[in-house]
Amino acid sequence: MTLSATAALAIFVVAFVLIATEKVDKVKVVLIAAGAMALLGLIPGDEVFFSEHEGIDWNVIFLLLGMMIIVGIIKQTGIFDYLAIWAAKRSRGRPYRLLVMLMAITAIASPFLDNVTTIMLVAPVTLVVCGRLQIPAQPYLIAEVLASNIGGAATLIGDPPNIIIGSRAGLSFNDFLVHMTPIVVIIFAAFTLLCWPLFRRSFRYNPDRVAEVMALQESRAITDRALLARCLAVLALVILGFGLHSVLHVEPSIVALLGAGAMILVARTEVNDVLKEVEWPTLVFFMGLFVMVGGLVHTGVIETFGGWAVETVGDNFFGAATALLFGSAVLGAFFDNIPYTATMAPIVEGLAAEAPDPGTGRALWWSFALGADFSGNGTAVAASANVVALGIAARNGQRISFWEFTRYGIIVTLLTTLMAWGYVYLRYFA
Amino acid sequence: MQARDIAIQVPTVATGDPVARTVQVMALGRLPGLIVVDERRRPRMVVPGTQVLRILVPNSYQEDPALARTVDEAHADLFWRELGGLTIGDFLDSRDFRPATVREDATLLEVAALMARRCTPLVVVVDRDGTLTGAVTLERLLGSLALSTPDVPED
Repeated sequence: MTLSATAALAIFVVAFVLIATEKVDKVKVVLIAAGAMALLGLIPGDEVFFSEHEGIDWNVIFLLLGMMIIVGIIKQTGIFDYLAIWAAKRSRGRPYRLLVMLMAITAIASPFLDNVTTIMLVAPVTLVVCGRLQIPAQPYLIAEVLASNIGGAATLIGDPPNIIIGSRAGLSFNDFLVHMTPIVVIIFAAFTLLCWPLFRRSFRYNPDRVAEVMALQESRAITDRALLARCLAVLALVILGFGLHSVLHVEPSIVALLGAGAMILVARTEVNDVLKEVEWPTLVFFMGLFVMVGGLVHTGVIETFGGWAVETVGDNFFGAATALLFGSAVLGAFFDNIPYTATMAPIVEGLAAEAPDPGTGRALWWSFALGADFSGNGTAVAASANVVALGIAARNGQRISFWEFTRYGIIVTLLTTLMAWGYVYLRYFA
Repeated sequence: MQARDIAIQVPTVATGDPVARTVQVMALGRLPGLIVVDERRRPRMVVPGTQVLRILVPNSYQEDPALARTVDEAHADLFWRELGGLTIGDFLDSRDFRPATVREDATLLEVAALMARRCTPLVVVVDRDGTLTGAVTLERLLGSLALSTPDVPED
């Protein structure tokens, strides 16, 4: 390994450890690391903003930006509050029924919204409902996070690792629908069944408190039905635009940006108010991350690791898929799964290029995506949605400890990864 | 005049006090804000009166107006009870409530500029060790300024 490669790797490892341990703000970490790489000449300065593989992947950045604007406007319509309260009322305070209803709403929303937003929408309603029923909210919040990470795996836009993988591998929205959605639906069904033994001891039923939930007025959540209809129509068009990628040849990022613009027009909202909904630190984090990974690519670190991986795999591509699935599930659980995916994507690209046919190459990408997505459930810090949920719970006096979450997360990650492994084998290698 | 000349003694609350009690202290004492001190009487937070609702209203309702609309009238009157066992110390990390402090020898201009900059009607006065010695309220500051200013001639 050359001196520049060693320097790039050293900077990257230090930054990765700081991100994983959350000792320092992760945005600061990636910016300083990217700056250090630029100062030392470890990244191609003239290509940082213009190279898809050695610089910032703008498809990812603008897809995220567009979806943040779309979701930011839709959530103001009150539709999620309406649905969650409606579901809670249908459960009539029965714990398992309430849990499944809330999980179902979360899992249905998360393929179209990012997981953090989904949790920020569902968790407050859950706290209100549990407060009225005088039952602990922790099992419901944990189950929602787990459901959100599972549901988000279903589509290109549901989970940031999928956005990175889709852009790197050239996989379309429809590819994700065909290859990821079926197994995610099956796994989610299995997860709902698992929740009974998993949370049974925490369930409490207070029939005399049901009237308190029934007093909630979900219809008041939606004040402007015409606005809601317009926003849902735009969202449907955006999803249609993603689906017609092979016909229209318009990148998902462009579709999302056009959708965001249309959403601003139909909602007749102020641009400044909309831009407040954008999580700018997240976008900057992604940019810094891409520059860091670009440094590893430019200095040959990725090529070296990719070479080792190809040599190790030989012609055993099912072995490679298995290693990617389980390796990602374990590593992604201990580190944030977004930087993990961004780092591994170029290596997987090298592996997929060595596959005997495109189908096998894609099987590696799907194994990688399933492992990275489901790793988000592994520990309390594995995905941003987990951290956000724990924060909301703590602020509302319903503290969830790291281990309280993780002991459920490990079981669910094990179940989902094993099921995904069986799926990968049966669909691509049997 | 200096801050020590116009500072007054105001009731304070401790970081371990329940939120509900701290709000009672403020309401009953008709204070323009809350001063939270640690065990060594060093100011840890100053919550302007206009901002106290940011503590009292659960975050869920502040961030999601649609959720606030779903709460029926009977429960809406009692929203602040949802804070349960939260103490004022649980909000110490909030950057919005960093204490606005001046030394005892600060001029009235310094006090006024700080109030303007931090949008707070309450500034705490501390000694060299950072221990609370008093507070300057907006009312007290304006009163002092009015008294020290020569009469404005009428047209």
